[in-house]
Amino acid sequence: MAEPLLQVRGLQVHFPIKRGLVVDRTVGHVRAVDGVDLQVDRGQTYGLVGESGCGKSTLGRAILRLEEPTGGTVLFDGQDVGALKAEPLRLIRRRMQMVFQDPLSSLDPRQSVESSLTEPLGVHGLAEADRAEFGADSARSHLAKASAMLDVVGLPRGSLAKYPHEFSGGQRQRIGIARAMILNPDLVIADEPVSALDVSVQAQVINLLEHLQDLLGLTYLVIAHDLAVVRHISDVIGVMYLGTLVEEADSDDLYARPLHPYTIALMSAIPIPDPVVEDRRERILLRGDLPSPANPPSGCRFHTRCPFRQPTRCDDEVPALREVAGSPGRRVACHYAEEIRDGRVHVADPHLLVEPTTAGAGGRP
Amino acid sequence: MSPVDQRTTTASSDRTLVSRSRREPVNRSEVLLEVRDLDVTFARRGGRATHAVDGVSFSVRPGEVVGIVGESGSGKSVTSLAVMGLLPRRGVQVRGEALYRGRNLLTMPAGELADLRGSELAMVFQDPMSSLNPVVPVGTQVTEVLLRHSDISRSEARDEAEDLLRRCGIPDPGRRLREYPHQLSGGMRQRALIAIALACRPALLICDEPTTALDVTIQAQVLELLKELVSDLGTAMVMITHDLGVVAGLCDSVNVMYAGRVVESAPRRELFEHPRHRYTEGLLGSIPRLDAPRGDPLQPIPGTPRDVIAWSAGCAFAPRCRHAADDCVVPDLGLEPLGRAGHLVRCVHPAPEDPQDLQDPQESRGVASGPMAEPSGAGGAHALAAADAPVTTTTEGERRG
Repeated sequence: MAEPLLQVRGLQVHFPIKRGLVVDRTVGHVRAVDGVDLQVDRGQTYGLVGESGCGKSTLGRAILRLEEPTGGTVLFDGQDVGALKAEPLRLIRRRMQMVFQDPLSSLDPRQSVESSLTEPLGVHGLAEADRAEFGADSARSHLAKASAMLDVVGLPRGSLAKYPHEFSGGQRQRIGIARAMILNPDLVIADEPVSALDVSVQAQVINLLEHLQDLLGLTYLVIAHDLAVVRHISDVIGVMYLGTLVEEADSDDLYARPLHPYTIALMSAIPIPDPVVEDRRERILLRGDLPSPANPPSGCRFHTRCPFRQPTRCDDEVPALREVAGSPGRRVACHYAEEIRDGRVHVADPHLLVEPTTAGAGGRP
Repeated sequence: MSPVDQRTTTASSDRTLVSRSRREPVNRSEVLLEVRDLDVTFARRGGRATHAVDGVSFSVRPGEVVGIVGESGSGKSVTSLAVMGLLPRRGVQVRGEALYRGRNLLTMPAGELADLRGSELAMVFQDPMSSLNPVVPVGTQVTEVLLRHSDISRSEARDEAEDLLRRCGIPDPGRRLREYPHQLSGGMRQRALIAIALACRPALLICDEPTTALDVTIQAQVLELLKELVSDLGTAMVMITHDLGVVAGLCDSVNVMYAGRVVESAPRRELFEHPRHRYTEGLLGSIPRLDAPRGDPLQPIPGTPRDVIAWSAGCAFAPRCRHAADDCVVPDLGLEPLGRAGHLVRCVHPAPEDPQDLQDPQESRGVASGPMAEPSGAGGAHALAAADAPVTTTTEGERRG
């Protein structure tokens, strides 16, 4: 395949902590994103998973330069997004759009759907491909495009005159998606696109995103905490922990054989809606909580919670995100990835390993 | 207890809650809580009253976990609040019975209920930040329950509270007791909340989405703690959640709620292997599974949970149901036994028992496009899906709803 659409190299976003609670002073930085490398090919869906506070949303925002990166480069279609001045940045933004998590707070409650959808067209104008169909930029052609877009996302045309509060959560998310797609972008970053929705509605939005990708040839970067959702729509998955990528793999491989201890524990923690599978699974529990990104642990950032932790090396040496011998196409940031895969390194503390039970919690089938 | 004894107990019981039990051995066949025809109506000024819970019945035995599953607005939380007597008095009408050891919680004098709540009945709420008092140290909130319900001194209560927090997996509990809720992480707050609920070793624990606000790895820790509690202490538990995965791993029997009524009730294996109600079947088909092959499009339920008709007019799920027919518009459809023992379904056209029939349309599609279809191939799958299923594409579903 040709040059990837998006290349991120060593991206860092550090937020300064300006003052303490008691004394006025500057105390270090929150390293929300701390050196992330990834690339997304055209037409691909890259899924970014991680728990809250791992920096996945900040990474998404930094790629679009909604958050000013502290270091590293973002190459979008060969152009360095970080070096762009205001006007070229404005022009390139039409090609990279974002879908936000909570449609109720990302849509202006006092702006009608028509106004929400035509505003990006007013700023950027119709996409080249749409000019043929809708004519030159004018209020009329913008309106025509907006109502065609509503058709695509499956909302009735009459919705144009309505306001966000008149819609259900799923419909609002459709408006948010229509607004992001109306400029015919190349890259869409979707930050938790379904997590605010009801279970039965999530599938509708997931299918819509997939449908639009086929229709418009989009490239997605999907950010979510729900690994099952991410795995369903992504081709490649990156797992983040405390500001860094710890594992990257093809989404089928990742489930079949997670290599990083964090991914292994994360996978085993996700409940599967099937009692037969649930009873047979072995669970690896993680100790404690996510450490503070203002003061990340030395060495491997995961070593404070890692069930496979080995003496000294994990505490002292920062593991690089590297290719693992014998598992092509995956990158893992763990010193002992091969050993864990081959079963030569085991979970140290037996308390953290929950063996499968023969029956449910109550001891009944 | 001599100092030596005390040390050994603490050491050996660091991870389990077993040795906490000073209660008599539980009789696991006794019905601890029986809810019969619970009915909750919210009156609205100038509008029609909302029938939030409509004839819900279930029972819980010691050491048993009963799940109540449903989407937002299905009445699952209101059910638990009604049982605990936590609904406001004004404008709310609660009918039916909730018998705890034979005594009706719904008609019990307020004082008696207050004695039971916190000691024998306890509840864990969804959002620990809003259910803990932000201006009171965590320790005070834990000891408060102990001091209210058991006859112990302040210092004993403090030791007990420290012990509780440690058992619930909070490191350095001595320090945490002096801290305020905002100083604790989300997982730790939820643990503190569980510690408060467990303080008096309740016989019945109602958990209302206890892990929804937590990350999955923390969720696994909390669920493991709850499992231990049920299997070791014989606590009866009502688990309210929207997450079918949590239900599959934890509950013994499951009640699926839709629009205020239980639409399906079955032991958990039976429910997941042979979902009979079309809503349950649809829910299971619409969630992406971590262990399922990728590539097949999801089968969403069209419409939204708001598209309901009143149960008094017909099946509330009919507007979203792919199998709805004219005969679904029957007033007050009953919850009838169907198929295997213990399986109750409220549906005119239940799903066939043989799951083979369910998978048929999916399989034909898988063959047509191949499970690992390229993006362009997946487009073909969409077209196919639209052709061979009555309502499959999302767009059509939403327009209909």
